[in-house]
Amino acid sequence: MTYRIGSAQGFYGDDVTKALPMIEGGHVDVVCFEALSELTMAILQKDRLANPTRGYTWDIRVIAERILSAAFAHKIPLITNGGGLNPTAAAELVREIAAKKGLNGIRIAAITGDDLLPRLDEIKRAGETFSNLDTGEPLDKAANQAFLTANVYLGASPIVEALRGGADIIIAGRIADPCLYLGALIVHYDWAWDDWDRLAAGIVCGHLLECTGQVVGGNSLALIDEIDARDLPRLGYPIAEVEADGSFILTKTPNTPGVVSVESVKEQLLYEVHDPRRYLTPDVTANFTTLRLEPAGSSRVRVSGVTGGPRPEKLKVNLNRFEGYKRELIFTLGYPKAWQKVDQLQRMLEEAWAGLSIERVGYSFLGMDSLFDGLASLPEDPLEVIVRVVFTAADAETLKTAVRRAMANGLACPAGMSVSGLTVGAEPSPVVGLWSALVSREHIQPQVSLLEG
Amino acid sequence: MTTRRLFDLAYGRAGDKGDISNISVIARSPEAYQEIKAKLTAERVKAHLGGLVRGEVIRYELDNIEALNFVCHDALDGGGTRSLRIDSLGKSLAGALLYMPWDRQE
Repeated sequence: MTYRIGSAQGFYGDDVTKALPMIEGGHVDVVCFEALSELTMAILQKDRLANPTRGYTWDIRVIAERILSAAFAHKIPLITNGGGLNPTAAAELVREIAAKKGLNGIRIAAITGDDLLPRLDEIKRAGETFSNLDTGEPLDKAANQAFLTANVYLGASPIVEALRGGADIIIAGRIADPCLYLGALIVHYDWAWDDWDRLAAGIVCGHLLECTGQVVGGNSLALIDEIDARDLPRLGYPIAEVEADGSFILTKTPNTPGVVSVESVKEQLLYEVHDPRRYLTPDVTANFTTLRLEPAGSSRVRVSGVTGGPRPEKLKVNLNRFEGYKRELIFTLGYPKAWQKVDQLQRMLEEAWAGLSIERVGYSFLGMDSLFDGLASLPEDPLEVIVRVVFTAADAETLKTAVRRAMANGLACPAGMSVSGLTVGAEPSPVVGLWSALVSREHIQPQVSLLEG
Repeated sequence: MTTRRLFDLAYGRAGDKGDISNISVIARSPEAYQEIKAKLTAERVKAHLGGLVRGEVIRYELDNIEALNFVCHDALDGGGTRSLRIDSLGKSLAGALLYMPWDRQE
């Protein structure tokens, strides 16, 4: 029988309550919540450093308070990687909230084993270099060792174990996005771990679901004329109706705004994809070039013919590294002689910042070249130029001094210059750099712990 | 006469991973796909995007959905929060590519 997967989160801060109409309307058999972008881990690390019982996404609380009762009543499992850096603490929180709601007998699974930060030295001693995938530089050779997080992308196997153990809600950390969805399919259809075509179909299904609004009309150039912008906050989130052979219908929550079309599915299919013949995941290498898309009714698209091959030998690890601070100021300059004033502003700042250890400075003209750089042709004698200045330094204090010095020129400035007050009042923001590497599977053992409510 | 641009033949979306941006170019018709498949080379894409993409551009073809996928390296000024650009994830890069004038060779 058709198995229906709902997707109610695509990033930290998404509107997870979009799960409610799916569950209460009886439209789904499971709901997944994908919460982690490359940068989210660094944000969660900041939380965990401030408070060791944090480090998970706050959305977990919303899921527990607003969705869990309905899901438990309807026997719909919830699966999320929003446990981030602290799935165990998130599971404890969920247990407390479930107890207050009287959800007796609820089973809460926490999945760990992705956090390699405390194990880096041990794994390096076992021969792993964590060499940078872009530059080839071994981790030990990096001059800056201020690593904040190190998480390996886990596959679907701990999800499968937790569901088979009867979990009603599964809280994981860095499970690869589409593997959240694949895990549920493997359990329901009992797919084998080397059934590459079906596993790849599950990955394509998860990949199309994992960005929620982006496949139902959000961020869509294909549907720009079809979507009423007032509906954007109300878009019904996507649902896949999956068959045993891995083919599926991609649709959305019934009776909600939004559109799923062949065109919008194509847009999402290639989102954040590199080689479409080799879409690497921990469980399978998926091939996107054999599949077929066909319209199958209003806001229904049939996806079939996905093929796949063996999973990659190694797993991907993302490390986030602290690399200093950045700050921006936005200045306004107008007619007459706006370009001459821009030039004066640049020279003024260079002088004011002399002797400060500012690392990088970037100038752009908002509304003129800030998005498209050299594609834009700048007007000869503009009425207005909005200058965005971004600058970085190793420490926050240098940036604060730089802002003070720039502002000290408030009356000794190019004629008619103004500065956006909101940018003056802002604080330096940490710069976090990504370091991607590979690790052998032998070092990675995911753990599943079940709490009873 | 208005200039025909790539946008008249195709639409697309940009996605980010680290300092890499991938830009899909999805044909609006089978004829448009044959045209972009024949003429929209990786070299042409790199030349058009100029300073936005500092590294290599690799082209992938998906005949099954009549689309091309361009993987642009060193395209996000370091990526994530490292970037000094206001659009640090390169959400607008699909538009930058679709702005390409189509009927004259650049």
